[in-house]
Amino acid sequence: MIDSNNNQSDVGTYLTFEMNEETFAINVSKVLNILEMQKITWVPRARDYMKGVINLRGAVLPVVDLRIKFGLPIKEDSVDTSIIVLSIIKEEEEVLLGSIVDGVREVLEIKDDSIVASPVIGTRYNSELTTGMLQVDDKFITILDIDKVFSINDVVEYKEQSTTETLEK
Amino acid sequence: MEQFKQKFIEEANDLIQDLESSCLILSSEPDNQAHVETIFRAMHSLKGGSAMFGFDMIDACTHQLETAYDMVRSGAMKVDDKLLDISFKVIDHVKDLLEENDNLSESTLQNHSQLLIKISEIVNVDDSKTKDPEHSSSSAEETYDNDINTYYIKFVPNRDIFRNGTNPLLIINELVSLGENKVYSFVSEIPVFEKIDATHCYTHWVVLLATNATKEDIQEVFMFVDVDCEVEINNLGSNLSIKEADLIEIDSEYENGADLTADLILSHLEPIVKSESISDNIEVEEKKNNIKNHSISSIRVSSEKLDELINLVSELVTRQASLSLLAENLDHKDLNPISEDIDKISRRLRDSTFSIRLIPIENMVTRFRRLVRELSADFDKNIDFITEGTDTELDKSIIEGLLEPIMHIIRNNIDHGLESVKERKALGKPENGTILLKAFYSGANVYIQLSDDGRGIDVEKIRRKGINLGHIPEDAAMSDKEILDMIFLPGFSTTTKVTSVSGRGVGMDIVKRKVTELKGEVSIDTEKDVGTTMTIKLPLTLSIIDGLLVMIDDTHYVIPLATARKCFDFSHKDLTNAVNNLIYIDDHHIPFANLRTEFGINTEPPEREQIVAIEYNGSDFGLAIDHIVGEYQAVLKSLGSMYRDQEIISGATILGDGTVALVLDPHKIISQFKFDKGSKE
Repeated sequence: MIDSNNNQSDVGTYLTFEMNEETFAINVSKVLNILEMQKITWVPRARDYMKGVINLRGAVLPVVDLRIKFGLPIKEDSVDTSIIVLSIIKEEEEVLLGSIVDGVREVLEIKDDSIVASPVIGTRYNSELTTGMLQVDDKFITILDIDKVFSINDVVEYKEQSTTETLEK
Repeated sequence: MEQFKQKFIEEANDLIQDLESSCLILSSEPDNQAHVETIFRAMHSLKGGSAMFGFDMIDACTHQLETAYDMVRSGAMKVDDKLLDISFKVIDHVKDLLEENDNLSESTLQNHSQLLIKISEIVNVDDSKTKDPEHSSSSAEETYDNDINTYYIKFVPNRDIFRNGTNPLLIINELVSLGENKVYSFVSEIPVFEKIDATHCYTHWVVLLATNATKEDIQEVFMFVDVDCEVEINNLGSNLSIKEADLIEIDSEYENGADLTADLILSHLEPIVKSESISDNIEVEEKKNNIKNHSISSIRVSSEKLDELINLVSELVTRQASLSLLAENLDHKDLNPISEDIDKISRRLRDSTFSIRLIPIENMVTRFRRLVRELSADFDKNIDFITEGTDTELDKSIIEGLLEPIMHIIRNNIDHGLESVKERKALGKPENGTILLKAFYSGANVYIQLSDDGRGIDVEKIRRKGINLGHIPEDAAMSDKEILDMIFLPGFSTTTKVTSVSGRGVGMDIVKRKVTELKGEVSIDTEKDVGTTMTIKLPLTLSIIDGLLVMIDDTHYVIPLATARKCFDFSHKDLTNAVNNLIYIDDHHIPFANLRTEFGINTEPPEREQIVAIEYNGSDFGLAIDHIVGEYQAVLKSLGSMYRDQEIISGATILGDGTVALVLDPHKIISQFKFDKGSKE
């Protein structure tokens, strides 16, 4: 479960962001842009984590609420609320999409050997969706394998299945 | 070099298309000279280009066939099925060669040598014909009137020629003007200076002339002198080079004072393997002329440049919307007219830019003609393929996408639809079956209809098949149309017999899928023993539409204007009180759907709502929305793969203020609404 970028160098660069007071990280090679929260055109009859579309320099960009996707509570929009524009690989195609998060923190250089595998039990998230965990001071950062997150339609179903099922249907 | 080669391949493909269509026309009108000319020219250009870019094999077979058509041109040969069959084979072969480029397959190579033999057979047969004693010598020469022949002309003027006021040099000049030449003058008879009689002509000439003029043409030059002069004109034959380098031996004979007789010269001239040296110059000139003629009527532009242009125009249209919005908000008296003018201009610019991509359907019809021709031979059915409205234009990408489905429909028509000659006779139908391809505009759509006058589709058979496959229950009450629609389901084929052409169980579903990919619709009508008609309905272009901008809740939507018929104003109460979702409009009760409910929007609706009447399957269907903003030119953008399942939205467009509006597909909304309603009941 190690990102290909990490194989080439010992140090990977990651963007960290927050959702529900928890810190997550995505490899910067996946990040194209960070946008302020803006009016999103809602698309009817779509899954609820599909928030709609926005205009990204003349192109139409789908926006996903990563918090809903992860089954996290939604915080009200604030100045910190951001849209991270990601380039992911979905069904062998490059897809651009925006992800709503509570706030973007910083860019970190992380040594590969400081990343520990996610424990199989006791974490909220399916270990398949994460590259690993990292401890900074007393906090844990979950490193996401973002391609995997979007290749599975119902991320939340892996856990708390009974509660989220109704949400999806 | 590679890029020129690519260009040649593109050009060659166009030429092949011309060839195909002309050959097809010739097959019905063998005496059409204009198309013989077209074929000849196309072969010629193909030959020239292929030789230049190293497609030697194309060069070889087109060269041979060009010769054949040249004979047709001069009347030495008739267009017959044999020639056309070979022509089609060569066309296919050239296609293969172009495609395989450098990696030629074994079969292609084999095909090549076989073809060459066959063509040369044809050409040679006709060679012998021209040598037929029945033909007079003059007609034989006519045959060659386009070939380059080398003549030996000896001109010994009468001594007193000057007295007639004739200048022999003018005659020589006239000869020289006929083609490539070499003039030898013999001055040995000129006496010493004192003895010269200035009124006498002492000189005679030998001219070697390579020309496509006939012997008669040359004789004409001597028309006024031949009574009292010695003129000898000998055709030494074609394929003789009289380039400086080849004449060295003759030159030295001449310098030694030898009398240059025709035989002597012939013995020194080397025949060239191919008629290249002289003829090539002329070919190049001809080619230049051709190019000139073409460039006046059309210019070849790469589709990338076109796409770029279209993108720019799309962006302009989007920005124009911002300008209109700004002008409206500022309400500036000078800005408004400018903004309106720019709006008009950008509309026109949009329309003409998009029309560049439009090409007539005729372009693909050629392929269908060939298919019909080939299949009618395979199935031993006599088929007339008739086309109507092939000047109807469609976006190039749509035409490309249509080729496969239409080919498939035609195959079905021929294989399943049309009966054999015997059956037709028994039914009292004309012996020849007919397939009609009809294209026409209607509103913002183009319709392409393919009809045959065959046996039609047995609806009962389809129904039973549907039951067998488990698509429908045994006692299902379905209209004929609904039953027929089942043939578009994957794996649905009623033919018991599998032929190589159709009936493999993959078929109509692919036709449907391909047409749907082009944002089109396909429908079918049939009547037993009368025939079947397939109708394909297509949008004119895929990227910009005129729309009606509407609001639902706080979101903008665009309804394509092509589908909207009228708008009506209603109070919200009227709509909620409507019985059975029917509303009374224009003396009719029409069904409607409230998009608020359809989209699951729960906010408070406005007091007055609008209904946009959409034409759906010939009748009206209302869609209720909050209010109408106005007309809007929408540059269609894809929602991307994340919203792939969103059938009711055909795309998105960016509004003047930068926000995104969704473009609705009203027909999909209505059909889904009807389906939901049907399943609830």
